Amino acid sequence: MMDPAINERTARWRTYLVALAITALIFATAFYASNYFNQRRVEDIRTAQDDISTDILNIETQFDLLQEHSCSDVSANAVLPSSLSSLGSQLSYMEAQGGNAPEVTRLKSLYSLMEIKDYLLMKQISQNCSLKPIFVLYFYSNKGDCADCQKQGYVLTALAQKYPQLRIYSFDYNLNVSALQTLIGIDNVKNDLPALLINGKAYYGLQMIPDIEKILPQLATMKAASSTATSTK
Amino acid sequence: MVAVTYVLLFISLYFEVFLLVSFLERQLSKKTVTPPGSQTFPTVAVVVPCYNEEKGIAGTLNSLLALDYPKDKLEILVVDDGSSDKTLELAREFSTDARIRVFSKENGGKHTAMNYALAHTDAELIGCLDADSTVEPHALRHIAAVFENPRVSAVTPGIHAKETKNLLQHMQKVEYRLSIFNRFMLSALGSAFITPGPFSIFRASVIRELGGWKHGHSTEDMEMALRMQMAGHLIANCPSATVYTSTPPTFRKLFKQRVRWTYGFLRNAADYRHMVGSRRYGNLGLFILPTALLSIVTAIYFFVRIMMEFAQQSFDEYTRISVTRSLPFPHFDIFYFNTSAMWVLVWLAVGLVLVLISAGSFIGTGSKKVPAGTPLFMLFYCFLVPLWLATALFRATFKLGVRWR
Repeated sequence: MMDPAINERTARWRTYLVALAITALIFATAFYASNYFNQRRVEDIRTAQDDISTDILNIETQFDLLQEHSCSDVSANAVLPSSLSSLGSQLSYMEAQGGNAPEVTRLKSLYSLMEIKDYLLMKQISQNCSLKPIFVLYFYSNKGDCADCQKQGYVLTALAQKYPQLRIYSFDYNLNVSALQTLIGIDNVKNDLPALLINGKAYYGLQMIPDIEKILPQLATMKAASSTATSTK
Repeated sequence: MVAVTYVLLFISLYFEVFLLVSFLERQLSKKTVTPPGSQTFPTVAVVVPCYNEEKGIAGTLNSLLALDYPKDKLEILVVDDGSSDKTLELAREFSTDARIRVFSKENGGKHTAMNYALAHTDAELIGCLDADSTVEPHALRHIAAVFENPRVSAVTPGIHAKETKNLLQHMQKVEYRLSIFNRFMLSALGSAFITPGPFSIFRASVIRELGGWKHGHSTEDMEMALRMQMAGHLIANCPSATVYTSTPPTFRKLFKQRVRWTYGFLRNAADYRHMVGSRRYGNLGLFILPTALLSIVTAIYFFVRIMMEFAQQSFDEYTRISVTRSLPFPHFDIFYFNTSAMWVLVWLAVGLVLVLISAGSFIGTGSKKVPAGTPLFMLFYCFLVPLWLATALFRATFKLGVRWR
């Protein structure tokens, strides 16, 4: 055990300064570490985007060579909807964290472009290969002017889990990406969010799972097919 | 909001780092102390003020009688403060020992019992041992040795939690280890502002000179320490003088005790506000008192922030479940692990608290091993503390008063 502690209360400025320097160093380390981890996340997203981008380019090229390849080859190599949605979740998280905002916005813009590209490509493939994928385009705003956007996000996440083959593309309505604004213009999506674009028709306001299932009766078949496939494994 | 959070985090971290740096500086300076063999034994009066303490009085008196101290130099004054149970009867059974004198008076509070004893003794040193506490046989000998320094006016012991039976008491045991470190360092910085009830010993002449104990908003031990500091007296800490004190077994009792302590600190700090921020009082005035006051606000602030965040997340989860009609699918992805600077700093602050607990264990027991209840303490105790801090702050602001029991 320690000897007794007895001392005058005279302030020793050296101790105060040393403690200040150490505390400042701890703070600097914390900010550096946080920045480092955020950077790592951005790198992860960038890598994932590169992978998806390569996948899209691959399908596009295969599609161009469709005459020489069977449709089954193209659809087998299609970008999985889960890869896109996982990337979307990661970007949303980064956006909510607020760190490195310009870089995250850049990645988000790129992500939106990839989504549009995938959407267009899958539409072409489905026409030429007689596939019947279901597309849902979701437009939201995170500027605080869309009370139901969070709920709609939850509904669509649950829907994607229930129907893994469903292709849901989410877009920030206010994102300054010309291709996205063109898509919004072509489909005439109004700034009345949340908005869902299903089979070329826009639906405004919160749409619950039963509402979407009613709009898309083919979902029931999709689920049945999925269950059969699972049970025969 | 973010700026306030970072400022409060910086001050909290700075306080922890300052104490650790001071501790390490002290360790490196290697001061010499009086060898125990050469000590003299001043006369000592240990006062046991009691009010309805029939459960603990026998244990307390037995531990005092077992003190390794010359019999002719020690007197034990039991002052029954108008108990309505068998405390007085039980105390009188001990009066066969020449060292014990038992007094009975009308109920007036602990400070009146202490002053009553002060008037009935001419011992050189006077101290108190609450009737819910016990001492190790060597405790008084160690404390008396510190008084060989003529500039020392009071010595506080190393206080440990007695009989930790339930989880709440295990958490308090950890808190007491942390207090051992804090008390030790505050004395090392000449800034002790509490002379706790369990076995703090004073020079009787100094107490008389200062006018005896006062009510001190039900925390006479804090008021006395501040009055001593104001008059320029030194308060030392002797961690090897081991004292065990009972800890409240239920949250209700703990809450009441801590509201009283915090309320007393706030009201006494208000009474002695001229010391806060004053350079004249060195570390105590410039740093310790302002930081101790700010720490109350900091704890409440972080508690409110965490609770608000928890409420927001719970609401989001509720919304998610209500719109999807499905329970969340648990999954872990390292990507979503929160590594914001704020959380990194919080984790570092938690790590520093662990170091302080270990240092407290080392000071109080000689082992750096932290008590078994440390994980519980780190996880849950921080959510209990703000409850009594906020209550005490509210009561102190509106001067609503507190009761002992």
